[in-house]
Amino acid sequence: MKLVLKFAIIALLTISSQNVIAQTKTIQGTVTDPSGFPLPGASVNVEGTQNSASTDFDGKYSLKGVNASDKITYSYVGLNSQTIVVGGRSVIDITLVQTTQNLNEVIVGYGTQKRTKVTGAISTVGSKDIAAVPITNAESALQGRAAGVTVVNGAPGSNPTVTIRGLATMGNSAPLYVIDGVLTSNLSGLSPNDIESMSVLKDASTTALYGSKAFNGVIMVTTKKGKKGPGQLNFSTYIGSQTITKRYDVLNTQQYLQYAKDLGSDLTARAAEFGNVNTNWQDEIFQTGLMQNYNLSFSNGTETSTGRYSAEYLKQEGAVINTGFERYSFRANNTQDIGRLRVGSNVGISFSTINPERNSGGRTLLEHAIKMAPYLPVYNGTNLGGYQGPSAIDGNDAENPVRVANLGYQKINNLSIIGNIYAELDIFKGLKFRSQVSLDYYTGKDHTFIPSYSDGSYHKQAFSTTNETNTQGQTIVFDNSLTYKTTIAAKHNIEVLGVITKIDGKSQNLIAGSRYNISDEIDQLRYNEGNLSSANYVEKNIGYIARINYDYDDKYILAVSGRRDASSRFGANNRWGNFYSIAAGWNIAKEGFMANSVFSTLKLRASTGTTGNDRIDNYQYSATLLADYNYPIGGGNAPGVSLGVASNPDLKWESKNDRNIGLDFGLFEDKFTGSLEYFNSKSSDILFAVPLSASVGSAGGGTQIQNIADVKVSGYEITLGYNDRKGDFTWSATANLGTSKNEVTSLAPGVTSVLGGPTARAGLENFSRLEVGQPLFYFYGYQTNGIYQNQAEVDAVFGPGQTIIKPGDIRIIDRDGNKIINSSDKTNIGNPYPDFTYGLNITAAYKKFDFNCFITGVQGNDIYNANTFDLKGMNRLFNASTEVLDRAVVVNGVVTNPSATLPRAQGADINWSSANQRYIEDGSYTRLKNITLGYTLSGETFDSHFSNIRFYISGQNLITITKYSGLDPEIARADTNANSAGIDLGRYPQPKSVIFGLDVKF
Amino acid sequence: MKKIKHIVTALLGVFAISSCDTSELELTNPNTLSPDTFFKTEAQVESSVNAAYANLQTRGLYARNLAFAMDLMGQDAAGNPQLEGNKKPFQDFSFNAGNDIIQYYWESCFLGISRANFVLENEAKINALPNSILSQEKKNKFLGEAHFLRAYYYFLLVNRFGNVPIYKAGTIIGAARSPKAEVYNLIRADFEFASQNLLSKSAEVVGRATKEAAYAYLGKVLLYEKKYDLALNALNNVTGFSLEDKGSFYNNFMEETEHGKESIFEVEFDEKNGTGNKWDDPGNSGGTGFAESTLRGQEYGNLSWYNVYPPDNLLNSYEAGDLRFGDTFYVPGSKYLNGTKTMIASNFNTSAGLRKAGWKKYQNYYKKEDEAVQSSINFKVMRYADVILMKAECENQRDGGSQAAAIAYITLIRDRAGLTTSIVPTKEAVFAAIVHERKVEFAGEQSRFDDIMRWGNASVELAGTGFQAGKNELWPIPNRETSSNPNIKPSDNNPGY
Repeated sequence: MKLVLKFAIIALLTISSQNVIAQTKTIQGTVTDPSGFPLPGASVNVEGTQNSASTDFDGKYSLKGVNASDKITYSYVGLNSQTIVVGGRSVIDITLVQTTQNLNEVIVGYGTQKRTKVTGAISTVGSKDIAAVPITNAESALQGRAAGVTVVNGAPGSNPTVTIRGLATMGNSAPLYVIDGVLTSNLSGLSPNDIESMSVLKDASTTALYGSKAFNGVIMVTTKKGKKGPGQLNFSTYIGSQTITKRYDVLNTQQYLQYAKDLGSDLTARAAEFGNVNTNWQDEIFQTGLMQNYNLSFSNGTETSTGRYSAEYLKQEGAVINTGFERYSFRANNTQDIGRLRVGSNVGISFSTINPERNSGGRTLLEHAIKMAPYLPVYNGTNLGGYQGPSAIDGNDAENPVRVANLGYQKINNLSIIGNIYAELDIFKGLKFRSQVSLDYYTGKDHTFIPSYSDGSYHKQAFSTTNETNTQGQTIVFDNSLTYKTTIAAKHNIEVLGVITKIDGKSQNLIAGSRYNISDEIDQLRYNEGNLSSANYVEKNIGYIARINYDYDDKYILAVSGRRDASSRFGANNRWGNFYSIAAGWNIAKEGFMANSVFSTLKLRASTGTTGNDRIDNYQYSATLLADYNYPIGGGNAPGVSLGVASNPDLKWESKNDRNIGLDFGLFEDKFTGSLEYFNSKSSDILFAVPLSASVGSAGGGTQIQNIADVKVSGYEITLGYNDRKGDFTWSATANLGTSKNEVTSLAPGVTSVLGGPTARAGLENFSRLEVGQPLFYFYGYQTNGIYQNQAEVDAVFGPGQTIIKPGDIRIIDRDGNKIINSSDKTNIGNPYPDFTYGLNITAAYKKFDFNCFITGVQGNDIYNANTFDLKGMNRLFNASTEVLDRAVVVNGVVTNPSATLPRAQGADINWSSANQRYIEDGSYTRLKNITLGYTLSGETFDSHFSNIRFYISGQNLITITKYSGLDPEIARADTNANSAGIDLGRYPQPKSVIFGLDVKF
Repeated sequence: MKKIKHIVTALLGVFAISSCDTSELELTNPNTLSPDTFFKTEAQVESSVNAAYANLQTRGLYARNLAFAMDLMGQDAAGNPQLEGNKKPFQDFSFNAGNDIIQYYWESCFLGISRANFVLENEAKINALPNSILSQEKKNKFLGEAHFLRAYYYFLLVNRFGNVPIYKAGTIIGAARSPKAEVYNLIRADFEFASQNLLSKSAEVVGRATKEAAYAYLGKVLLYEKKYDLALNALNNVTGFSLEDKGSFYNNFMEETEHGKESIFEVEFDEKNGTGNKWDDPGNSGGTGFAESTLRGQEYGNLSWYNVYPPDNLLNSYEAGDLRFGDTFYVPGSKYLNGTKTMIASNFNTSAGLRKAGWKKYQNYYKKEDEAVQSSINFKVMRYADVILMKAECENQRDGGSQAAAIAYITLIRDRAGLTTSIVPTKEAVFAAIVHERKVEFAGEQSRFDDIMRWGNASVELAGTGFQAGKNELWPIPNRETSSNPNIKPSDNNPGY
């Protein structure tokens, strides 16, 4: 740092100041938005010069030294920029119109770019769109608004699963997030109210600058900064409620007792013990959750400094009992100009507490709620803890979900600090040096306490248990960059960037658990019987980055970038990776021959490039021993040590080659806008934990990280926008549609296929498979064709003498006709990826009313609904779907109800344990994601105590159209790995919510 | 020119402050040991051997699945309504290659083999240690334990799967199946090495494999190969053991009387060392963590989950006055909890009606009112009673063997059970007596199905169960293997699967 300062001082002293441009006249005016409100902080700039100004609080500006031939550009983030030839005027008033795309300034890696010069695939969402819908996490603002981006939310406080342009990898598919230049892995600590804009970088020409981190695309976030002008205070709040209204239709007590009787179990007496109550266990675990949010921000700026400060409190009760999220977030963004030097910092701090959805016995609350016998009451005052659970007769697998959720607590406390400090020096006109240190720091404490309890029979513990996991991590990135920007002969615009970046990441954890026999009063760890472990991880990266942007008169654009990266996650031989991109664009609309055409924008662009991926665990290339084996010998414990998880010294970068072609157009002064994209990428050497042959006996689940597969991904994206204004009525509509199709093109030598995916239920086979010529982890299993109606039908397939499959069982298709059903009969039974995803966003304003309606959906994907196992599996006696009442009934070897779609109860193993078509459903849906109506009162009404105040009411997820039988087709994936795509394990569904809000500008 | 100078200065500045020493990228994992620096001390050698034992305790084997699968196939146990769907197919032989119990059994055995191979692969390193660090006797003994365990796991495999891949060293590429005879050759060689190098029970810490255990298993393997003379020789080397006394048969199945005079080899459990999280990881085949208890008591017990019960056929096999009946089963009227409580009929209630009995063998009810998840009772996988009945079988079957000697062995067992013995000294009658005696002596000890397969009398003993001759003698190779091993395809599976 000493060197930086020294360098800065030397640079300052040695550079002569530039001549001031001769003055001619002063232009004044007001900048307003379409509804007539003044826009403070809008930028007013004489094109091709550094002569610029910002509007004040009343939207007024004054710009000196303007020639009559100059062009002035008015811009404001979130609104369309306008360029005006000054001519003879000295007063120019401008109204800037909002569109949802075509933002003038686009945030790209290590800088910003004018939209007209963008050559890659970038979707942008501005603060107006983000503010249009009350959301609790920033990622949600992208859903349905950015073509090709899917966002799936989970329980309150959990990070949404974000995927850009579908899956191109098999490990972690989350994009890289960059908040004001700081690299991070999620936006959990960031208030959506603090966001100025988000750019989604989708192709290699825009992402290659982030090289090894950018494989899954990059989401650039710019937070709001202070603006020159008098201080402005904003207050906004909303309050609302969330509910989950959909239920699985399960048997009531009367139906259940009959069903049990049919299965050979008489539970009448057992039900009578509890007074034949009828408990709806799903109603017991869902609740109406309240949410509230308060945000206060202040921003101001002088000629030499800007600042913006904000604080927010969010409290969200989940729609599942005892779940919730509470967050305090603070942000301070500052800049200081000292001559040619600008120093600044952007820092966000957040404290949050998550009450996650709890589970027990490896089963989700929902699974327990489905399976619990309906004749059991929730509470029983005579039991320790006060809950009633099942006995062996009722079926021990189900646990009282209310006790699981409510007894004791689980709290995850997180602290996150994300920020940077930077200095920028204008060495001379066009050459800028920037040095930035950024920090991504977090601590997490996951603390669970369960007191002693007894649900009456098996589910009990005679002691209290406390478990705690502490994690701490920090990533420090040190970036130094030089940018040189110049225009030669008035038409050749050149920008050159060079960066050296160094990343040091460290993380550690401490995991401990204990049990306490004496009392439930202590919820802290103590050394009794317990476990304790800790670990340390270090990750280092070095990157060298260069980029050259060139354009000729804004018409012909060329951008070239390269990055050389090294990662400590690979062995010495494969440590370095080179990534590059080339892109070109042609602004056809600026050609002379287009002068009188209807096209206000017409641009063709194409790009190609590579990115890399090193998202695997640390140290995978080195062979290790595992010291976690134990065996009792001689009355004590004999610790064991043996080979650990199979290492792979030959690990190398996963890389992706991207190609993108795009066409942007605007008609009738951009009243009608749109863009088309086609992309095509090829991922090579994809890193994946490949299951080794079980018989080689490798530790840790028997997998080894390998560069196993090549995958090609291609798709189209279409975005269309229209905006219009008639008197007091303005409206706009934006529609987008994205497709993404992936196919495995090759697998490592010796690997023909890989079976994977989460184990959804004990005893149920895996469905997900990797194979050349198929989509990544498509659903692989048996095809079915109805139900065997009689023995003759069974014998026709298996021949006589076979005793396992009987009438009433599912007819699994014997594809190879060898009279044996085995894995050779399995085939593709579903594709977890949609044909396309889409969004439609309509906004309108009439006088003081504003309206937003937002529809999103996916089409053509399959979901593997693991809940079917519990609802319709009929393997063992537990509560189940009412559909089991219509199962196949077999009398004397003949099915008496041929219309039955479910097989006989407790029939052949293969009915329920095998991967087969009964678990696969169409997952398409269309959802009214949001509808909002607002009303704004202007300041005069209140004697100027505040300039305006907006009230709104908003509804989310109110209508969903789908054929999917599960609680929510917008399922949360188990994790970010590809092999859990499209699998519904019974996790937290999306609630419906109704929200009232208030925004006040003082 | 001035500008260029500035640019150069600036660039140099940037590089000066942030060019990196790439050796910083060279990281070692601070959380684990490295194989390069291992096998330097006695504790390290011993720990590598301990790891191979740990796989016996997995859910794939003795902690859970093995007991269910073997007792159900042997018809020692029948399922109550709450028996899980992945276990039910073993009672009626409807399992297929997707069954996870078969998968975890396969994985657990091969993981154990891989741990043993880790020791044996480093034999040169171990033998190179100076005797001052590790005596030659201990080097031999540790290697002997690794050979014993490898053979033990392979014996579990060969009985269930027939031809299986042979691994004598670590690899990551799956091997093709080797003929059963070659697997037997390896098992025999390993047990022979172990019998020459292990310590006697009297000199060894309880829990470890001993010379006598190696001889007993060598005898068992030879008996399964029908090499009766060789088997008898091996079994005759099992000395220093005797049966628990008459009236003390139950000593074989309690925690406090483990490693008694009848005990030759046990699979150890001890909940005080930790009970781990047995449920959350469905695989749990790695043998890692402190999961030192078995779920059997919980799952079999009639006061607990009561997933299985002893079927009538088994109960009816006991002769009147057989003392083993009361030590093997609880029935209404049985005392438990140190004799303070009495079982009543409703203790045998299930949603499918009242059962006649529940398991007592390996249950904790003798001292606990109910079974929690944890049971510390070891599996006595090789009792001296087995050696005696195997000797009887060898005498009866071998050329020139003595039926009288066989009957004498059987009489030892029956005397202890409080029964008189009168067997016609013909080969057929003695064989029938052995079939009966093994059924009642080892009920619920996972012995019956292997015995039936060895005797080849499934058509009689398993009639009406769903057992299909020519198919169900063996389990299918699990899908997990055929989908990941380039050298074993689904079409290479056992007949009928």
